[in-house]
Amino acid sequence: MAELTALAGLFGLSGAFALVGAVLAGWMAWRIVEKAGLPGWAGLGAIALTLTGIGTVVPLVLLWVFAFMRWPRDEQGMPATAGAPRPLAPPAKALPDRRGWRLEGGGVSLAFDESAPIYRLTGGPAAEPTDLVVPDPSVGKPHARLLTAANRLGLEDLGSPGGTYIDGARLLPEHGPRDISAVRSIRLGSVELVLCRV
Amino acid sequence: MPDVGSWLLGWAIAAGSAVLFVIVIVHLLLSLLLIIPSWRILARAGYAGALSLFHLVPVIGSFIVMAILAFGDWPAGEARHGAPQGEGERR
Repeated sequence: MAELTALAGLFGLSGAFALVGAVLAGWMAWRIVEKAGLPGWAGLGAIALTLTGIGTVVPLVLLWVFAFMRWPRDEQGMPATAGAPRPLAPPAKALPDRRGWRLEGGGVSLAFDESAPIYRLTGGPAAEPTDLVVPDPSVGKPHARLLTAANRLGLEDLGSPGGTYIDGARLLPEHGPRDISAVRSIRLGSVELVLCRV
Repeated sequence: MPDVGSWLLGWAIAAGSAVLFVIVIVHLLLSLLLIIPSWRILARAGYAGALSLFHLVPVIGSFIVMAILAFGDWPAGEARHGAPQGEGERR
């Protein structure tokens, strides 16, 4: 008899837990499907089905359907076709930069552009039209080479003892040409030249 | 001759381990049936889908996932009640 009483008590406790769990699950299911834009009773009904003879298979199927179906919430988020603002036109392509370059500093201002592919930086007198003269004893004759192509500017050291620096970093002949399109300044020997577009 | 009691104990432990293993595998498979749709629901709500792994927690795992969805503000937005479909963005 005592065993039967204990068993009934256990069943009663389990039943109470099951009831609280079912009510809680139904309430939460109601809220979840409402947030998705569906009627709340649909969620509650799905949970209630677990209490019937159908068992848990149908609610499980409904869970999968709910996960992969279209939610009214998603429809609400979409802009209406009629009266909706027209999309912006794509941006125009950037115009090509036709500006030249300028090196300023040490009392000289050297302007050049892409009309010649190679310029020579030298400390001596200009021997060719593409020679850019920086009259300073620390600048070699020639000292370095500037290369222009496709709106970019390169610098190559020719091994002068004074040295060539890009934003403070030493450039050696074995480095080859380096892109200086975006650098602020270069140094030839002791002459600091600021690079800018003109 | 081996002790019968030890032999029975060993047999019982082995059998119990096998049963436990089967229970764990079945639990994982059943959890997977819940984890996959829950992962998608959580992702559509704007949460991390990995939260659906709470289903692996026995008994209360499903309640945790449901509570997150039911009582949290969905980062991806919730349905506006009373707004007709397609009217949500009109001013």
